Amino acid sequence: MPSPREEFLAGSREIAPALVGTMPFGLVTGVASIAAGMSPVEGIALSVLAFSGIAQLVTSQLIALHSPLPLVLVATLVVSLRLVMYSATLSPHLAHLNQRWRLLLSYLMTDQSFASTVRRYAEADERAHKHYHFLGSSLTLWVSWQLSVIAGVVAGAGVPEGWSLDFVVVLTFLALLVPVIRNGADVAAAIVAAVVAMLAAGLPYRLSLIAGSLAGIVAGIALDASRRSSR
Amino acid sequence: MSTWLAIAGVGAVTFLLRASFIAFADPHRFPGWFRQALAFVPPAVLAAIVAPGLVMRDGAFDLSWRNPRLIAGLLAILVAARTRSVLATIVSGMAALWLLQWAMG
Repeated sequence: MPSPREEFLAGSREIAPALVGTMPFGLVTGVASIAAGMSPVEGIALSVLAFSGIAQLVTSQLIALHSPLPLVLVATLVVSLRLVMYSATLSPHLAHLNQRWRLLLSYLMTDQSFASTVRRYAEADERAHKHYHFLGSSLTLWVSWQLSVIAGVVAGAGVPEGWSLDFVVVLTFLALLVPVIRNGADVAAAIVAAVVAMLAAGLPYRLSLIAGSLAGIVAGIALDASRRSSR
Repeated sequence: MSTWLAIAGVGAVTFLLRASFIAFADPHRFPGWFRQALAFVPPAVLAAIVAPGLVMRDGAFDLSWRNPRLIAGLLAILVAARTRSVLATIVSGMAALWLLQWAMG
């Protein structure tokens, strides 16, 4: 059975290739917080507390637009709902751990570490120390994320606009989007969400994101339901 | 001051969502429709984030082949579908964008 140390290092190694995507993303996120008018300390505090690129970017954009606090919270809630699904998926594997472990791993969970942890738990070997694999991948991502956000905060708007580094953010989400589309209902959810988000692009406070997400979720459920009733 | 409130609030929201099932909730007590809706959250939210980034250019729609972000994005979708690699998707997408921007002057 692999020791805790071996599990930790294996998790850390497994997440390493993803850092090529997350570190420029962190840099862009740090730059975005400064561009939104936050102080460096505020940008770093947001990154430590939220530890989520999407949540940090949406918060930055809405603060820049002087959105009211409830709207900031609702928007973050909607774009972060996927974390609930991850939490539900991992909870049976972590139920044997004490509350301190579960709170720590909850705080550290991200799209990338979720994916690698699910893969590790799917392997049929002895599971006693698999949570160290989770800890290894998550902590490696945490440290590199915070460092790259700090670099972005320090660089401020110093990154030349001609590099189009903001496109890295779009590509990162694109790379996460493609694998979660597994059936026709997923395709419908994604297409409806994309079209509504584009049509609603003129709405204030980036409400297009909420409108598109909700429309996509409803479309997915509707297609699922109609397929089930026609059977 | 309100910025600090927002930062604390966003931190609380993201933490509570992450901890929802792992630390606090019993998965079996959630209603079926809610779990069904959760299943469609990743494709819907991610698509709503990505789409405007591909077709919006300087605050306006651009669905033409002269929009480098759209072309680079479509290429990146193909790469993502074939390789399932975040790295390959980002590298090919950025390379295509820089090349197209350079070619279109």
